[in-house]
Amino acid sequence: MNLEFGRVTLVILFAIVPIVGFFLGLRAPALRSRIPIFVGVFAGLIPILSMYVPKKFIAGPTGMSPRLDQWLIILAGFALLLGIVNVLQNNMRKISRREKGWPFSVVLLIGLFVTGGFGVYGGISGQGIGIAADGTPTPFQYVTNWFFQPLQSTIFSLLAFFMASAAFRAFRARNTEATILLVAAALIMMGRVPLLELLAVPIPSLQPAAASASQGLGKLTEWIMKTPNGAAQAGIIIGAALGAASMALRVILGIERGYLGLGKGE
Amino acid sequence: MAGFFERIVHLDRRWIFLLVLVSVATPIVIPIGLPVTTTGPTRAAFEFIEALHEGDVVLISFDYGPSSAPENDPMAEAVMRQCALKKLRFVVCALYALGGLGLANNVVAKIEGEFPNLRDGVDYVNLGYKDGAAAVMRHMGEDIAGAFPTDVHGKPTSEIPLMKGVHDLRQVKLVFTAATGLIGEWWITQVHPQVGIPVIIGPTAVSAPKYYAYLNSGQLVGMLGGMKGAAEYESLLRARYPELAKFYTTTRAFTATKGMDGQTVLHTVILLLLLLGNVAYFRQRRASAKARA
Amino acid sequence: MHPPEIGVWIAAFLTIACLTFLYKDNPFFRFAESLFAGVSLGYYVGIVLNQTLLPNLFAPMRENFGQNWDLVVPGLLGVLLYMRYAPKIGWVSRYALAIYVTYYIGLDFTRRIHGEVLPQLARAILPLSSLDRATFFSLVYVLGVFSVLVYFFFSKEQGPITRRISRLGIWFLMISFGAAFGFTVMGRVALLIGRLNFLILDWIYPTLGI
Repeated sequence: MNLEFGRVTLVILFAIVPIVGFFLGLRAPALRSRIPIFVGVFAGLIPILSMYVPKKFIAGPTGMSPRLDQWLIILAGFALLLGIVNVLQNNMRKISRREKGWPFSVVLLIGLFVTGGFGVYGGISGQGIGIAADGTPTPFQYVTNWFFQPLQSTIFSLLAFFMASAAFRAFRARNTEATILLVAAALIMMGRVPLLELLAVPIPSLQPAAASASQGLGKLTEWIMKTPNGAAQAGIIIGAALGAASMALRVILGIERGYLGLGKGE
Repeated sequence: MAGFFERIVHLDRRWIFLLVLVSVATPIVIPIGLPVTTTGPTRAAFEFIEALHEGDVVLISFDYGPSSAPENDPMAEAVMRQCALKKLRFVVCALYALGGLGLANNVVAKIEGEFPNLRDGVDYVNLGYKDGAAAVMRHMGEDIAGAFPTDVHGKPTSEIPLMKGVHDLRQVKLVFTAATGLIGEWWITQVHPQVGIPVIIGPTAVSAPKYYAYLNSGQLVGMLGGMKGAAEYESLLRARYPELAKFYTTTRAFTATKGMDGQTVLHTVILLLLLLGNVAYFRQRRASAKARA
Repeated sequence: MHPPEIGVWIAAFLTIACLTFLYKDNPFFRFAESLFAGVSLGYYVGIVLNQTLLPNLFAPMRENFGQNWDLVVPGLLGVLLYMRYAPKIGWVSRYALAIYVTYYIGLDFTRRIHGEVLPQLARAILPLSSLDRATFFSLVYVLGVFSVLVYFFFSKEQGPITRRISRLGIWFLMISFGAAFGFTVMGRVALLIGRLNFLILDWIYPTLGI
């Protein structure tokens, strides 16, 4: 049995302490929130400390941090599927009560069970969920290619229509700021595509002039993206990052507890 | 005239939808073949990969899904073709939950068909998808096999010849991430400070403006911004490797270069719509001011 | 030219069903939407099981339990996450949730400082050793970063000077948002180009034998 310091410490912190906390929590309800927050402090501090404390026990190959990374890869997998329980509950209730739109809940569940079933079959049979060596897709990959990918692509492509409609109806130069926004948008839209060359297609004699004007516009576009846009984005990145970093500290230290469904004072 | 603008402003939006549909469909049916000019960030990305040596390892991360495949697929294909021609070894992984794996499998299969001499496990490897993106990236900085114990076919990573010399990201010369959201940004802000590896990003156009800040600060060596960036890369690739022209000139295969025709037509239409809308607005404002006076 | 296979017909039907929403909401779109939701969730099940749980959890424990005994803990923590759906002992899921959230927040903290704040600030600190075009543009850049940061300082009321600097910051932000709009148009249109390309070149043309 591998009893490296890193693994043993992680087991103590994230298994033994929660088990003790569970039994204590059965007797004292107040501890049901405090002990998880206490455990969370360590989970948050280990990746931070491993960056600044280059000691074997925390950052080395047998240290706590690399093993914790592997644990969280597994935990993330479970977390991804968490919403499925909620979806199953809601849609089964809809079907059993014959609520409005219940046939579509049947469609949803069929899609879920068939695709998920192919995924489970791929795992159990050893076939996998990708493309076999001879180039034929597994059933899961087939559903991915002809159902999942077309559906996702098309649903997102609807945004192009709504964006065009919104631009026409709402995008007005009402004041100085809106005008700056509109002019910048127009310059970028003209500079990123060969728009002048397109307009010159029916007039061949204008094509060289269009090409050279397009190059100039392209250079202006690149300068706008690099300098004013880059500056604004840097300011946004710095501001948002400082806010997020301070929020991160508040969460790790247990000051912010909303993520556990707890209010102030709980 | 006033009546015309009044009617235009209150036009049923479904007519605008139809206009958009026709604008995009027409260049597909009647290709125009507009030229593509290259920009600095794309050229920088191209030249960086060109400067790598035979046998160098490149990590290609599929951090996007079908929702941005028309932009990101051409980027990933172009970079893989370049790696194949330059005899760079490439490691493929997918960190985007909603569709990254399927797209990675399809693109790798396509490249396998185009370059039959490439050997799986020797010249390239597809490690598949893994949950927990940030944790995976962090662990890859220490031990790639620890994060990906097997490749996408289930073969243990420790038995794959290519991975024998690649223990962690420090043995990789470049990360290329084709990304739709935050995961691509994490290669820049988390992995680059952790191990110092150069990063090239191929973001969607929606998120591309943000990455100019990272280009300015030197955290990125290059960027392929959206479908335009992919089209630029295709044109650079064709110019340097004329033998690749066949992959970009068949009428059926979708390429970013062909997509630029539709982009250009629709940009023209949207600019006209913006102009019309604002002219109508200013006419209305002037009429209201006159009525009040 | 070969006629399109059945998969292409399925994809074409689903694509057109989604596009019908542009005319008005209808049962075909609702069917496609529900199918999308179900298939997406099923896709998650497939990839999580095959790509994470099997190779990273079950296989290592099965092949070498002595080396990987500690993986029982994340496995159990993962199951514990689902206890939130059990009414009486839902509070037990807080342990798993606390570990999951605070770990990723810990990563986020170092990412923000080392990957965002410090490099961006470093770029904004420049020597003025030579007076040329590059330095002038760099000054514009620094002015932009500084004025945007002043604009975002909400914790104190702005005075006459900071109000003017904020205004400049807003203008830089408007240029950036305008650029973002232009790029967003490109991004959204690209998706539509991809779908129409499929419909016309991969479905309609082969069906008509073109």
